[in-house]
Amino acid sequence: MKWWRSGRAIAEPAIVFVLLALLWEKAVAIFGIKRYLLPPLSDVLSALWQGRMMILKETWITTGEILLGYFWAVLAGLLVGLGIFAWPMMRRTLYPLIVLFQGLPKVALAPLLVIWFGYGLASKVLMAFLFAFFPVVVGTLGGLAGTPEHLIEHFRAIRASPMTTFVRLRIPAALPSILDGCKTAMPLAVIGAIVGEFVASEHGLGHLILEANANAKSELLFAALIAISILAGVLYLLVELAAQRVWWRAL
Amino acid sequence: MAGAVEAQPAIRLRNVSKTFTGAQHVQALGAVGFDVPQGQFTSVLGPSGCGKSTLLRVIAGLIAPDAGATVEVMAHAQNAPSDDVGVVFQTHNLLPWLTVEKNIRLAAEVRRLPAEETTRRVESILPVLRLESFRRHYPHQLSGGMRQRAALGQILVLLPQVLLLDEPFGALDALTRDQLNVELLRLWQDLRKTVLLITHSIPEAVFLSDRVLVMSDRPGRIVEDVAIDLPRPRDPQATKERPEFARYVVHLQKLMGVA
Repeated sequence: MKWWRSGRAIAEPAIVFVLLALLWEKAVAIFGIKRYLLPPLSDVLSALWQGRMMILKETWITTGEILLGYFWAVLAGLLVGLGIFAWPMMRRTLYPLIVLFQGLPKVALAPLLVIWFGYGLASKVLMAFLFAFFPVVVGTLGGLAGTPEHLIEHFRAIRASPMTTFVRLRIPAALPSILDGCKTAMPLAVIGAIVGEFVASEHGLGHLILEANANAKSELLFAALIAISILAGVLYLLVELAAQRVWWRAL
Repeated sequence: MAGAVEAQPAIRLRNVSKTFTGAQHVQALGAVGFDVPQGQFTSVLGPSGCGKSTLLRVIAGLIAPDAGATVEVMAHAQNAPSDDVGVVFQTHNLLPWLTVEKNIRLAAEVRRLPAEETTRRVESILPVLRLESFRRHYPHQLSGGMRQRAALGQILVLLPQVLLLDEPFGALDALTRDQLNVELLRLWQDLRKTVLLITHSIPEAVFLSDRVLVMSDRPGRIVEDVAIDLPRPRDPQATKERPEFARYVVHLQKLMGVA
């Protein structure tokens, strides 16, 4: 029965997808919508197919920017969260600074980053980093600080060293929250990279969107949007799969 | 020789008070002093908020009493947690990401006991707690009663001489609680430990204990020391039907202002 149920789990959304696709295709023809406003789905798909090598190449570049930015955001977020948790001095000095910085619309920083780091990879990676960094800090900090008090007392009662308490209690207790932070961070890293490409770039899906727009190639623009959503979905799924290894977060 | 060892009390308290200084000055304990002989099952009975748990944490070495107090466990000053004392609280301390077996091993691993010795101890504890067939279960897969038994195993692995129990079955339903109390008595008789149980249930205290210490409202003091002279082994039915049982219960109810 299991295959039948999982088959249904795939079939139901698939049917809805096909219906929506048909609706799109037919509505454009029936209502006579101008092609530059909304090209029929068939045009978008054929643009996707014809430009597949180019779209793949741009996707590859954007993926690199996202993953680099995300990797550094997770690493730095973990370290900063840990630092703020462990040293009260950092909590007093660094944390307010980060919170203040978080309030700043990071989109507004993009032009500055281009001036500082140029048109290339670095400014995009940095934008992805800036978007993804904060949730990881908050998740790490919240997880470490949220370790149940009675468990900490238990570790004191069995005379565990602070290091042992950290490794055997605080880290596993914090992992669910850390992973929630990492999950929030992934779509933000995608946004960051695309925003970076919008401001100034020669490659990537964000650049492709601007170029298609400038040349009135709406079907290519939609093709790029599809590529972005697939990319964002796949990346999020990967993080989700990794997060499932910490099964006790569901308790 | 044996007599000389037994003469040494397992717990010795003199002039133990505790005032919490914070936003408010709260005196939780006022000058408590008593001895618990080795092997005795003693209950501390008191209304909620009377400082029972504070007393227990002081004996466990988890919080320091006010200056001038004497707290000794097995003839050693107890100014920090020691392996002589194990504490079980109402909220169990099982780690959700470890199986029952690994949870029981935890304290021994933290204390860096040799792995074979740890295994030996865990293998002897699991059957006593009737958790052998649940060793690979995670805490969330267990019933409330099993969780509290596993929590007992968590501290038994360090072979403490003194068990401090802070309403360990307080959050369970009455039936499970009665069953676990019977098992606790069996465990106490098999392992020959000293038990100090904190409870606010009068029948439970009478049924289990050799002696009941009644605590007053905050700041907690010992207002009466009642020896419970009921034959052992005790039976959940027969013992409770004895006229002395009812007399003890009524006496304690009067002391606590219930009756």
